[in-house]
Amino acid sequence: MVYYCTRCKRLVEIDYEAMGIRCPYCGHRILIKQRPTLVKRVEAV
Amino acid sequence: MDIDIIELSDTKARFVLNDVEPAIANGLRRVILAEVPTMAIDYVNIYDNTSVLFDEQIALRMGLIPLITDLESYVLPEDCDCGGEGCTRCQLSLNLSAEGSKIIYSGDLLSSDPKVTVADEKIPIIDLRERQTLVLEAVAKLGIGRKHAKWQAGVGCGYKNMPVITIKEDCDSCGRCVDECPRNVLVINNDKLEVTDPLKCNLCKLCMGICDIDAINVIEKPNSYIFNIETDGSYPAKELVIQGADTIILKAGQLKEILSEIE
Repeated sequence: MVYYCTRCKRLVEIDYEAMGIRCPYCGHRILIKQRPTLVKRVEAV
Repeated sequence: MDIDIIELSDTKARFVLNDVEPAIANGLRRVILAEVPTMAIDYVNIYDNTSVLFDEQIALRMGLIPLITDLESYVLPEDCDCGGEGCTRCQLSLNLSAEGSKIIYSGDLLSSDPKVTVADEKIPIIDLRERQTLVLEAVAKLGIGRKHAKWQAGVGCGYKNMPVITIKEDCDSCGRCVDECPRNVLVINNDKLEVTDPLKCNLCKLCMGICDIDAINVIEKPNSYIFNIETDGSYPAKELVIQGADTIILKAGQLKEILSEIE
């Protein structure tokens, strides 16, 4: 799963079962999940 | 049946409907509220949304934008030859592609059919900040108000009985009824009690209660109704009433067909 690190602004691939939620480059623990590129259909209700 | 028009504009109509049964007046009211087909956004395909709102919230806002309805070019999805799957006869798309920082209004939606556009271009959808983007395609379909309020063309529709106010000769113009009336319908002019605008009367009959000598009388005129209609902009008010009457005729025809099949 690709995340976005809020400190070093890099896209990082993490394996949270092995190392937990942590940026492998800077060690920051606040990561943002990237929006998938597919189209999302939402009912307008 | 006859109609006296009091006020008529694009979005509002006020008229007196005379010589009709209460059932017909109520039928017209209910049909305008819930049965006249109107265009509204049914679902939204979101390609990108980096704004502060969730996709679902934006979709809900899009759904509530009134669209100008063209009943000649479009049919209800359930009546369409495609069986409601979606074709050019039963749906159209509106596109939006915007980047901040600015407020995105309903007028920024680009319709694929120039006849079906937003009824009001100044409805704010979202306030985008710098580097926030919103790219989406909204698909609009015809529907009826019974299904969802976004398909409700007549947003305000109601009627009241026509009041008839009579002042007897023995009125002493004491003025107590003038003070009592909450709608300021009565006025004393040259020491004589007069009715300014009977249409404003809400039939509360407080004036009758305060008068000791029973000089004033307020009654409801039978089979006469004051209609107040307000549209969301998808139809002009006049067109909405005509569509309401057409829908009643259509439904009566369907009932006749069903009954004729019973042996």
